[in-house]
Amino acid sequence: MGTVLVVDDEFGIADLIDAILVDEGHRVVIAVNGRQGLEVLAKEHPDLVFLDYMMPVMDGATMLRAMGEDASLQSIPVVLMSSIPEATLAERCMGYVSFLRKPFKVTDVTALAARLIGKNPASTS
Amino acid sequence: MSGHDDSALDRLPSGIAGFDLILNGGFLKGGLYIVQGPPGSGKTILGNQICFNHVRGSGRALYVTLLAEYHARMMQHLSIMSFFDSSKIPDQLAYLNGLGELHANGLPGLLGLLRREITKRGASVLVIDGVVAARRAADDERAFNAFVQELQAVAIATDCTVFMLTSAQGTRITPEHTMVDGIIELVDQLSGWVAESGLQVVKFRGSSVLRGRHAFKITNDGIIVHPRIEALLARPSRPDPGSAARVQSGVDQLDIMLDGGLPESSTTMVMGPSGTGKTTLGLQFLTKCSVSEPGLLFGFYETPPRLNAKIAAVCQPLGSLIDSGAVEVLWQPPTDDLLDAYGGRLLRAIHRRKVRRLFIDGLGAFLQAAGSEPSRIGNFLTALMNEMRVLGVTTLYTLEGPDLMGPTTRIPIGDLSSLAENLLMLRFVELRSRLYRLLSILKVRDSQFDASLHEYATTSQGLVIDATSDSAERIMSGYARQSEGVAPPDRQPRERRGR
Repeated sequence: MGTVLVVDDEFGIADLIDAILVDEGHRVVIAVNGRQGLEVLAKEHPDLVFLDYMMPVMDGATMLRAMGEDASLQSIPVVLMSSIPEATLAERCMGYVSFLRKPFKVTDVTALAARLIGKNPASTS
Repeated sequence: MSGHDDSALDRLPSGIAGFDLILNGGFLKGGLYIVQGPPGSGKTILGNQICFNHVRGSGRALYVTLLAEYHARMMQHLSIMSFFDSSKIPDQLAYLNGLGELHANGLPGLLGLLRREITKRGASVLVIDGVVAARRAADDERAFNAFVQELQAVAIATDCTVFMLTSAQGTRITPEHTMVDGIIELVDQLSGWVAESGLQVVKFRGSSVLRGRHAFKITNDGIIVHPRIEALLARPSRPDPGSAARVQSGVDQLDIMLDGGLPESSTTMVMGPSGTGKTTLGLQFLTKCSVSEPGLLFGFYETPPRLNAKIAAVCQPLGSLIDSGAVEVLWQPPTDDLLDAYGGRLLRAIHRRKVRRLFIDGLGAFLQAAGSEPSRIGNFLTALMNEMRVLGVTTLYTLEGPDLMGPTTRIPIGDLSSLAENLLMLRFVELRSRLYRLLSILKVRDSQFDASLHEYATTSQGLVIDATSDSAERIMSGYARQSEGVAPPDRQPRERRGR
C-alpha cells in the first residue's frame, strides 16, 4: 500500500478519489491547488500524485514543471486529470505518466493506483 | 479637469442576438450583474454562452463555480451546444472551483482568489456560478454586502464584467440587488401543459433596455432570446413615408374595384372560410414581384409540397418568380415556435431581402402561438404591421373565419381597424345545392372602392372576378328568397366556375 497525493480544486473529486483509494488500503493527502500540492511534497514523498490541470493559484502544468525541476520529486509518477482532452494539454504538460479524463469511473482510479504504485521505486508497499 | 470617461459606456455584448437587442447593445464593461432564476431555468447555460461568445475572438474569461456541479459533468452537457469550443479551454476560458477557498478562508479568501485569477489570466469576463454558497458562507448580511461591494471594485479596477449566478429570485429585495449594476431574471413557468421560459431585465444601470418579459428557448445553439415584438417595435424604426401610390393586387378586376390597386405600403386582410381561395389570392398578389420588388411568402399551413402543387394548379407564373429568387417562401409549422420567434424571423427575412410585397398565409398561427397570452396579439400585430408600413412593405394576409357559410361572419380577432387598412372578404353562398363564391371589399385606406359583391371563381389562372355585381346580386337575392321559402333563379354553370 502507498501514499497518494490528490491535488484538485473540486472538493467532490478529491474526496471521491480519497474514498476509493482509502478503501484499497492507501493513505491519501489532499491539496486544493498546485501551490498547496508542492507544500505537501516538501514534507511528504508520496508514491503517486493525481493532479488536476485547471486550478486556481497554481495549475497542474506549473506544478508538474516544478516537480520536474526538483530531482527529489522527478521519480514520483503523476496522473494528470482534466475534463478537457489530453491532446489539448499534452504539449504544455511534461512529465506525467498517465492521463485520467474526467468524469472517470471508480475502476479507472483503482487500476491506475494498482499499476503505478507497484512500479514506483519509492513505493512503501 | 477630468473629461468624460466614455469607456464607462463601452459594451460587452452577450453574443446572443436577441438578448443584446434587449440590452441595447450588451452589458456595460466592468459592470457587476446578477443573473437569477430557479434551478433549471438556464442560468448556467447563459453564463457559459456569454463566456464562449466572449472568447470567440481574443477575449479571455473565467468561470468559477461554488457549486457541487462538477466541471467535467457541466462540460459534458455543454459539449452538445454549438457555441461550445473545447479549443478555447483552458488558455482563453478557464474553469475553476472556488468552494475550497471559500471553505478555507471565507469570503475574503474567495475575493482574493477572484482578483488574482482575473489579473493573472487577463480575464475580461468572470462568471461566478452558485453565489448562494458565498451568501451562506457570510457571517452576516453586512459581510456579504462587503464582499459584493469589493467585488464591484475589482470589476471596475480590472475592467472585467462580472456575472453572479444565483437561484435566489422573486420579489424579495436583498441588499446586493441595490448594489449591482444590473439584474437579469430568468423564469420558467407552466402554461397548461407547456413550459414557457422568460427573461426580464429587472434593473440596468446606465442604459435603457427593453423592459418587460421576453421569451427564450434553450436549444442546441444555446439560449435564443426573442425580444417581445411590441417592445422592440414600440416606435416604428423610421417615419411613415405616407405613400399615396397604388400597387397591383395581382387580380385585374380587383384592382378596378380597388380604384387602381392596393395602397402602397398598406396592410390588407383577406378573410374567409377555408376553401374560398384566400391563399390563391395571396399567390396572385406575389406574381407582381420582381427582382427589384422582392416578395416573401410567410406561410404556416400549406407545406412546401402542397404549396408547390397549388402554385402549379392555380398560379403558374409564381413558380418562375420563386425559381428566380424574386419571391422567397418561408414555411414553418404553426405549432413549432413562439410568437416573438415568428415575428423576429419575419422581420429578419424582410430586412435581408428588402422585401416589398409580403404575403402572410395564416394569421391564425400568430393567434395560436400567443398561447397563454392571447391579449398580446392585438399589440403584437399592430406593432408588426406599423413596421411593415414604414419599411415600405405592402402586406396581404389571410385570416380564416369559423363560419363556412351563411349571412353572418365572425372574425376571430378584435380591433380590426388597427390590424388592417384594407379588408377583403371571401365567402361561400349556398344556393340550390350549389356553392357560389362572393368577394366584397369592406374597407380601403383613404380611398373610394367598389363596395358591391362580386361573384368569382377559382380557375387555373387563379381567382377570376366577375366584372359586374349582377350575378352576385342574383345569388344573394335568391339566397334571401330561398331563406324565405322561395325558389332561387335558374342559373347555368359557367366553364370557369369552380375546380
